[in-house]
Amino acid sequence: MAHLHISHVDLEFTVGAERQDTLHSMLRRGLMRHTEQRTVKALQDVSITIAAGERVGLIGHNGAGKSTLLKVMAGIYPPKRGAVAVDGHVCPLFEFVTGFEMEATGWENIRTRALLLGMSPREIDRKIDSIAAFSNLGEFLDIPVRHYSSGMFVRLAFATSTAVDPQILLLDEVMAAGDAVFINSARQRMNDLMLRASVVVFASHSLDVLPSFCDRTILLQKGRVIADGPTAEVVRLYQAPTAVPVT
Amino acid sequence: MRSSFDDIARSAALWPIWARLGLQDVRLKFRRSAIGPAWIFINLAILVVSIGFIYANLLGQEPRQFIPYLTIGMILWAYLTNSIIDGGNAFVHSEGYIKQISLPIYVYLFRFFISITATMLITMCAFVIVAVLYRLPVGLGTLLAVPGLLMLMATSLLLIAIFAHLNARFRDVAHLASVAMQVLFYVTPVIFPAHLLQNRGRLAWIVELNPMFHLLEVVRRPLLSNSAAEWHSYLVAVGIIAVLGTVSMVLVRVYGRRIVFAL
Repeated sequence: MAHLHISHVDLEFTVGAERQDTLHSMLRRGLMRHTEQRTVKALQDVSITIAAGERVGLIGHNGAGKSTLLKVMAGIYPPKRGAVAVDGHVCPLFEFVTGFEMEATGWENIRTRALLLGMSPREIDRKIDSIAAFSNLGEFLDIPVRHYSSGMFVRLAFATSTAVDPQILLLDEVMAAGDAVFINSARQRMNDLMLRASVVVFASHSLDVLPSFCDRTILLQKGRVIADGPTAEVVRLYQAPTAVPVT
Repeated sequence: MRSSFDDIARSAALWPIWARLGLQDVRLKFRRSAIGPAWIFINLAILVVSIGFIYANLLGQEPRQFIPYLTIGMILWAYLTNSIIDGGNAFVHSEGYIKQISLPIYVYLFRFFISITATMLITMCAFVIVAVLYRLPVGLGTLLAVPGLLMLMATSLLLIAIFAHLNARFRDVAHLASVAMQVLFYVTPVIFPAHLLQNRGRLAWIVELNPMFHLLEVVRRPLLSNSAAEWHSYLVAVGIIAVLGTVSMVLVRVYGRRIVFAL
């Protein structure tokens, strides 16, 4: 069964060193012997176990580490310390459009995007008609997406991205907060997707969407887990800042 | 980190993805142009014709020998340059993919390898035309170009791997490499025949010690003269692959997935 286990994960971003290293800055560092690297501790001692069938919310203020934690779960960021053990196919849906090429046609983009999300060519053959049907683009699928309006483009990207059958689904708020942008059918499709997945972890600001989906919620603050439990309790803690221990 | 080498194996197994992306890159580059990939030929043809007749004269060469030599040399040289310069951007240009999609990162090295190699194979057709026009000797010896080409492809893949890592970490590397390739172009026998330097005793070492020369020879010689290259050229080519292979393994080991933090 799909599950996810993270133990004592630390993650740091080194600002000024790994990001903008130039030969010049290395020379200067070598000569002057004092470093001006700054490390940002994005995650500190995070341990989380999520079993099959769980739907877990992630909340916290901007910069609390929600997206970073999702990227650690997705295997995109390797942790500095600690272990990440994932059993099952992970599908991160942080946005819809990576892989879309403006010069390629709608059909071509469906195939590329679906491959990137982990669908097999055979699975794509099976699903492509239903993706096309949901996008409701008809003949427009034959022309390059460069000619699409932004609304058409979003429909296609959304239809394709929500066609996956992930074991472990990781959502970031842009996707989860789709309700503000999309019409009812899109919302229904998103719900179906979340119900199909064995494990869902979804980061959100929107406290009204969260309780309807997640029994369990994790509250992050400054890269640490400060609460992990039933959604109602954790949300209450989140909304009463005085109760939150400041680290 | 053990898992980096697992990632390479997983990436290779995901060939439907990188083959599609790589070929799509080639197709899309020309989609909106009227004559499409024919531009690759026109580009090469103009270069070969203009350099060819001037240099053949300047260097006192027979055009019927010099033009095919120049054509294949330019094609192979462009392949190596593209591997280093364009391939060096494999990670940098894939930042959006690497940070949003949980595929093993080496998929993007293979993607660039496919598009760069496919472009080279398309330009090879131009050489076939030249070979027919100038009635180059064809026989079993010509087939020896195939192992040579495989060696060159291995070199290309390893160069992409090395420069993708270095360039992600130190953005100056791309500029340095482009300057270095320009210098090497004038030192390596591409637009002048190797024997012009080799016959000048004192300068012969420039050719013999130049690894790029031997790399070109293992493909160029069989195609031009229906015979194998010098045996030591093969030896040097294998040596280059071994050295580049070692360097890329070290880089994969040192950086592994942490390359994402450099993007």
